[in-house]
Amino acid sequence: MTTANLTDRYVDAAMRTVPENQRGDLAAELRGSIDDQIDARVADGEDTASAERAVLIELGDPDKLAAQYTDRPLWLVGPRYFLDWWRLLKLLLWIVPACAAFGVSLAMVLDGASFGEIVGAVIPLLLTVVVHLAFWTTLVFVILERTGHETETSGPWTPDQLPEPRQKGVGLSDMIASLGFLAIMVGVVLWDLFVGFVPTEPGLSFLDPGLWPWWILGLFIVMALEAVLAIVVYAVGRWTIGLAVANGILNLVVAVPALWLLFEGRLINPAFFPSVIPDDGVEVGQIVAIVIGFVIAGVAIWDTADASIKAVRARRA
Amino acid sequence: MSESEILETHLQELRRGTIVLACLRLLVTPGYGYGLLEALGERGFPTDANTLYPLLRRLEKQGFLTSEWNTDESRPRKFYLTSAAGSRLATALTDEFRAIAAAIDELPQEN
Repeated sequence: MTTANLTDRYVDAAMRTVPENQRGDLAAELRGSIDDQIDARVADGEDTASAERAVLIELGDPDKLAAQYTDRPLWLVGPRYFLDWWRLLKLLLWIVPACAAFGVSLAMVLDGASFGEIVGAVIPLLLTVVVHLAFWTTLVFVILERTGHETETSGPWTPDQLPEPRQKGVGLSDMIASLGFLAIMVGVVLWDLFVGFVPTEPGLSFLDPGLWPWWILGLFIVMALEAVLAIVVYAVGRWTIGLAVANGILNLVVAVPALWLLFEGRLINPAFFPSVIPDDGVEVGQIVAIVIGFVIAGVAIWDTADASIKAVRARRA
Repeated sequence: MSESEILETHLQELRRGTIVLACLRLLVTPGYGYGLLEALGERGFPTDANTLYPLLRRLEKQGFLTSEWNTDESRPRKFYLTSAAGSRLATALTDEFRAIAAAIDELPQEN
C-alpha cells in the first residue's frame, strides 16, 4: 500500500518539532485519529487514496499543527512584545547611528580626511549600523518571545506612561542646532590649532599648542557625549531630572579643567597676544584671560541652570 | 473580504469558546479524538480536526481532562475524561454562557 506513506510522512513531519518526550504519545494519537478519519470516509464510499489525501489536506500544514500542539508562536515578535520591541528599536535608531556617524567623522577629520572621503565612509557605516541595530534588537525579542521572559517595561500600562507634550526648546531644530554648534566648535578648534585665525601669522594658534593632542581629544569626547545628550533629550521629548544632572556633570567636566588650565596659563597660547599686539600684548592677554574665565564659568552655570529649570517645569506640567 | 467571509469570521470567533465547553460536557463519558469530533458535529458544534486535537492536549495539560490509552481494540486510542477541575470549569462556562444569552435577550430588539 503505497498511499500509507503519505500518513507516515505527515506524522513524521508533524513530530519533527515536537519535544522528544511527547513524541511517541502524540504520534500514536495523531496516527490513530488520521486512520479513524480515513476509515470514516472509506465507509462513505470514497477510495482509500483520495480519502487519505482529503484528511491530510483538512489537517493542514504539519508544522502549523505541531505548533498548536506545543503552543509555539507562529510569529517572530507577537503582540506581547511588539510594542516594547518597536519603542526600543525607534529609540536606538534615533541615537546610535547619529553617534556612530559623529564619532567616525570626528576621527576622520582628525586624521585629515577630505569631506568626500568622510561622506564616502559615513554612508556605508550608517547603513551597516541600522541593519545591525534592527537585526540584533529583533533577535533579542525573538528569543524573549520563545523563552517567555518579561521585558522590564512591560507590566500593566498606566496613564503615567503617557508621553508629555513636547516641551518648547527640545524640538528637532533645537537638536540640530546643538549638534551643528558642536560640529562647528570642533572645526574651529582644529582650524585654530592647525591653520590659525590670524592671516599675518600662519600657524599661530589662540589655544596653547601644548593642549594637543590629549586635552583637545578629551574635550572632543565630552562634546561627543553632549551630542548624545542632545539627541536623547530630543528622543525623550523633554528635559528630565536625570538628563539635567547629566548635562550639569558634562558642563563641570568642561568648565573645571578649562578654568584650571586658564589659571595655570596653559589654556591660551602665551605667544598669541604678544605676536598679534606687540606693544600691549601681555596686558591685553591678561584681560582677555579674565574675560574668558568668566565666560567659561557663566556659560556652564547658565546652561546647567537652563536645563534644570526646564526639567523641573516638565515635571510639574 | 466578501461579506460572507466576514460573517464567517465573526461566527467562528463567537463559537470558539463554546467548543471548550462542549468538550468538557461531552467528556463526562470517556471519548477519543475522532469520536469526539463526530459527536461535536452531530450536536451542532462543527469543529475542525486541527483545532480539536491540540485543544484536547491543552485542556489535559491544564488539568481539565485526564487521559488513558485503551489498547483493547485493534487500534489503540487515547481516551479523554473530564476531571473534577474540568467539571467545575464546565459549570462556570455554562453559567457564563447562560448569563450572556440572557443579556443578549435584554438588548434592544432588532426589527
